[in-house]
Amino acid sequence: MNNGCLENRKKEHDNSQKRPKSYKFGSKSDDFALAIAKVAVAQLCESVGFQSFHLSALETLSDVSVRYIYSIGKTANLSANLAGRVEGNVFDIIHGLEDLGSNLGFSGASDVDRCVVSSGVVKDITHFVGVSDFIPFAYDVPGFPVVKDWLPAFPDPETYATRLSVENETMGVSNGKKTESKLERVERKMDRSLLNLQLRFAHNENKGGSSHGSGYVATESNPYLAAPLHVGEKEVSPVVLPTKLSNEVALRNPVHVDVGNHVSVLETFAPAIEAMKSGLCDSDNGKKKLLYDQRPTVRFKIGIGKKSLGTISDFGSQNEEDLLKIASWFGNDNEKDDKKRRVEKILKESVESSKE
Amino acid sequence: MNHNRQSNDGKHDDDSALSDFLASLMDYTPTIPDELVEHYLAKSGFQCPDVRLIRLVAVATQKFVAEVANDALQHCKARQAAVVKDKREKQQKDKRLILTMDDLSKSLREYGVNVKQQEYFADSPSTGIDPATRDE
Repeated sequence: MNNGCLENRKKEHDNSQKRPKSYKFGSKSDDFALAIAKVAVAQLCESVGFQSFHLSALETLSDVSVRYIYSIGKTANLSANLAGRVEGNVFDIIHGLEDLGSNLGFSGASDVDRCVVSSGVVKDITHFVGVSDFIPFAYDVPGFPVVKDWLPAFPDPETYATRLSVENETMGVSNGKKTESKLERVERKMDRSLLNLQLRFAHNENKGGSSHGSGYVATESNPYLAAPLHVGEKEVSPVVLPTKLSNEVALRNPVHVDVGNHVSVLETFAPAIEAMKSGLCDSDNGKKKLLYDQRPTVRFKIGIGKKSLGTISDFGSQNEEDLLKIASWFGNDNEKDDKKRRVEKILKESVESSKE
Repeated sequence: MNHNRQSNDGKHDDDSALSDFLASLMDYTPTIPDELVEHYLAKSGFQCPDVRLIRLVAVATQKFVAEVANDALQHCKARQAAVVKDKREKQQKDKRLILTMDDLSKSLREYGVNVKQQEYFADSPSTGIDPATRDE
């Protein structure tokens, strides 16, 4: 299954990337789970008495153990479905365990009409639990599947979890007022979490507006951490600052909402949403303004640089040319115009030189 | 009649034993994390919200792995003992217990899993000479 040495590891890794995606246990998305399985198996091996391991052997054993879990689930699911159930129970799992242990044998396997409850497999496992040492897993494992950083956060569990309980409650006891009040409470809870969700999305959106998220947040929370302004931008900064501040205020509210109390009621969030919405609009306008303001300053700077290079005598024409050239740099005009301008420039220069 | 009642009693005992065992799993945390088992059970299509069942599978897997590893350990020890008998002085330094593919494949074969160490082809004669680099 695996080769025995490190030298071939790289090659094998390359091969694993070329594997078809249908391969269940070697897919890229499963790397994390396999890594965790490896750690757990290594811990078990250590507890048995091994001092070291070959990587290939450990990988094989963890792969086998993962397949063990998988096939238990497969068999248990099969027997549950065979009995007309969707959710499995203990007996399905015991059935799966017996199925897997059938070639090894267990006590009472030969008995035809034995009860699943008194299965030898379960007794063995009970014995094992009693005998074996308690070894906790070495790391804290986040719940699967792991959400990547760049994906939006999951909504609160209430948004999708309560729907089921609501159904249950309506299906269950018909205790007039009591169920109604319960229902109301649940609905309110759902509303609140939905609201949270919306706010979070809005927050994310706001974050996503800037090209680099974390830096943007830092500049908002602390103006001293903001990127230093250029010399030419002095006039711009007082215009930008108030919008930034308003942004900050608007952003602070939803942050509180996200992190803070889930106990408060819908009404308390209403002003926050208003502020949020207005803040969003403000920030958008502010960005546009910022962009608009920045462009002339940049042009101005380059103009200065060119001016110092150029001769003083034909200041006006040169400056105009420069401006046109800069405009072409900004991609405002297409190539045809550029060519035209070049022709014009050459003509002008020739005329000037002939004058001299 | 008597026999029937006896067997009924026995069943009752087994029943309570099973439920006791399942209840005790709530406190027992297996080495194999719940999330891993849950992930692979979900992958296989089995769905159950009960933590105890997931723990049961985890414990069963733990038992399986421990048994396989223990068998491999015995193979390893036996091999080392045989080697030591042959040339005692040379093998003194290599006495560590290492889980190798050879032992593992031997022990896994008893559990119905056929694994074989892959053939090893070196690109140059000097690649695999130093055994220290091949361990771990």
